[in-house]
Amino acid sequence: MTRLEATRIVVEAAGDAPIVASLGHPAYDLFLAGDRPQNFYTWGAMGVASSIGLGLALARPDMRVFVVDGDGSLLMNLGSLATIGMLQPPNLVLVVMDNQEFATTGGQPTPTAHGADLEAAARAMRIRPTATVRTEDELRARLRDARAIVAKVAGSAPPAKPPLDCVFIKNRFMAAIQS
Amino acid sequence: MGAPAWASGVCAGIHAAGSRDVVYVPDNPLSHVLLELGEHYRDVRLVLATREEEAFGIAAGLHLGGRRPTVMLQSSGLGNSLNAITSLVLPYRIPMLMVVSMRGDAGEWNFAQVPMGRAIRSIFDAIGVPHATVASPDAAADVVRRAATTAFETHVAGACLLARQVTTS
Repeated sequence: MTRLEATRIVVEAAGDAPIVASLGHPAYDLFLAGDRPQNFYTWGAMGVASSIGLGLALARPDMRVFVVDGDGSLLMNLGSLATIGMLQPPNLVLVVMDNQEFATTGGQPTPTAHGADLEAAARAMRIRPTATVRTEDELRARLRDARAIVAKVAGSAPPAKPPLDCVFIKNRFMAAIQS
Repeated sequence: MGAPAWASGVCAGIHAAGSRDVVYVPDNPLSHVLLELGEHYRDVRLVLATREEEAFGIAAGLHLGGRRPTVMLQSSGLGNSLNAITSLVLPYRIPMLMVVSMRGDAGEWNFAQVPMGRAIRSIFDAIGVPHATVASPDAAADVVRRAATTAFETHVAGACLLARQVTTS
């Protein structure tokens, strides 16, 4: 399963629900998989996507909130797993696209290429249920119940980039999810 | 024993500006604010973060969901936060109030806290974050409320610095 294929499945599962994407390839893939106003593309703040998703999930308990993160970026903010595990927001779904490399910066291997296990980290911080998936069917199934999913993915060179205007992204997103 | 006047003022200012979510990394003086919020402001949600940069991410998400977030941190924590502030909070114009408990200013005993404390206003100026200083306990409520109101109305995050001469005896 490539990262783009996995991202398409997340978009399909999200329906009208918001998706927050980490900068670089996760955001590029989300744009390609299906640009929609409910996508929040980050252009910076590497590592913080899961925290944005957590804040949104706390503010809007009436909707499911999906986060598309990367292994490299989640590793920058592992404390986020502890906070999510402490607060247990029932509406937050964290999907980590684990390609075991920093794809956006040229493919340097991350610690997950050497055995670091981000699902185990999520479980250790009391997030339940968690899953590691390798196929599209597994991902589709676990998006129904898991709060943290590590998707083992192959890279896919993304040919498209989301809009660069940050304020446009934010205003469009906020208007689309208004209650 | 009630909260010190400066801490009551900070809470009143946060509340008067309509902020009902406080994301924080604790420090010693801020413990008074946290206690006062917990006891007398039951409609304020307190969210503990493991690190200041994470706190800014959570606050950004709260704003996306329609809230008016406050981030409380010690001045030393600004160093942990700069990437989130400069590449998320500012370019996306995500309004929030920062309440910063100062270290390194008059009365500091720990030199490790001094360089960041000394630099913090220059850093805020350089990145374009307006800041005001609470220099007396009586001024706290008004300074905090005004800074927060400006942040939420203009969609530019703003900071209130709590001077050590106010927060420590």
